[in-house]
Amino acid sequence: MSGKEFFVNRYRQLGWRFREVEPRQAIRLNQANAKGKNLPERLEGLGVELEKVPFLVSGYWVGKTRVSVGATAEYLLGLYSIQETAAQIPATLFTALKGKTVLDACAAPGGKTNQLADLMNNCGTIVALDVNKDRLAALANHLERCHVRCCVVYGLDARRSSGLNLKFGRILLDVPCSGNFAADPQWFSRRTLEDVERNAAVQREILAEAVKCLAPNGEIVYSTCSLEPEEDELNIDWAIRNLRLQIQVVDCYGDDGLTEVFGRKLDASVARCKRIWPDKTQGFFACKLKKKEESQ
Amino acid sequence: MKPLTVFGSRFGGRVALNPEFVLERAQRYYLLNPTLRKVTRADFFYAGFYLGKVKNGIFFPSFNFLNILAPIAANKVVLDRKAAWLFICGRDIFRKGIVKLMGSQQRGDYTLVMNEFGECLGFGVVTGNLEEDGKVAIRNVLDVGDFLRREF
Repeated sequence: MSGKEFFVNRYRQLGWRFREVEPRQAIRLNQANAKGKNLPERLEGLGVELEKVPFLVSGYWVGKTRVSVGATAEYLLGLYSIQETAAQIPATLFTALKGKTVLDACAAPGGKTNQLADLMNNCGTIVALDVNKDRLAALANHLERCHVRCCVVYGLDARRSSGLNLKFGRILLDVPCSGNFAADPQWFSRRTLEDVERNAAVQREILAEAVKCLAPNGEIVYSTCSLEPEEDELNIDWAIRNLRLQIQVVDCYGDDGLTEVFGRKLDASVARCKRIWPDKTQGFFACKLKKKEESQ
Repeated sequence: MKPLTVFGSRFGGRVALNPEFVLERAQRYYLLNPTLRKVTRADFFYAGFYLGKVKNGIFFPSFNFLNILAPIAANKVVLDRKAAWLFICGRDIFRKGIVKLMGSQQRGDYTLVMNEFGECLGFGVVTGNLEEDGKVAIRNVLDVGDFLRREF
């Protein structure tokens, strides 16, 4: 079960009419490093047209540009990072990050790890994991470029994170996923429903492991760049039924999560998730979870 | 710690890091705050503020370490916009691109290279041609363009 027609038909059943999109390149200011440096003006002086993303504090869309935004001195000095618009959302869903012990369970290449450090103003601790050893070097480069001070990186599978013997107040699960057509022009020819289901199973394992490491009153943010409900709403519906988690209301860009998927009714609270169909951004899904109180 | 202090002294600066919070692993040096130190296991890949590494007996600083040095180093040059761009592209520095010279600039001295905004772009070695136009004044040793070159 694969191919463009198959997936487009699924999206139609989920209430979205397929159209080709070309998400705009975006950057995120590293506020701690860029403070007082008039960065948007500096970039505009280099010939980079910027447009503020209305739903992000530090995000800008890149318009016409005379230079590559990945090769300016300002980029190399860590004043900003190149980060897709929707991918800037998950880290902002946490409350009160400063001083917390944070797990970034699937961290490479490190865009969100840097964002977390920036939101924490380098106060607290980030433990960043990635199972792919080759991608750890890219993560380390990112951390050095952005002058991150509060992070320790391990080459470790997120499904083994309880082995760290630490409890985390905040856990980011930007889990490995099937991706989406807006981020990959070859997506429809590469992906099958079997891939999606395999990824969804791994994601459930990661979720279950994260719950073991979550401190009392802690928060998990779960995100994917997949449009497939198996990796999104269905996994979250499974998590609230099996892991004693509850979904928190979040105020961010995106539509409500689906509560009916291919004829199957999900828990009504799944609507608190955010589903972003490709348009101004790539496709994305995010939600915030907390453990249920013992009495609930 | 010694490679760090020796390297810092070559810029006419005295590095004062608390050795208790400097961690060495596989000849790489990291600065860790006390909280991070508590949770860091021996098998980490990267931790805290990376300071640099020793390879074949030579210390290779990180850009973090150059930024620690920047406020305390005596030897600095400030470049104009064009020379700053050429420097981060890996090029050496000519006299005409230098806006300001600070500290000792004798042949063989290390000097930090700054842009017009006071940001550290890397470092170089003075070649001794600071008064002569048309000749390399400072040889590029390390610049921030390295982030692009090391990834590809």
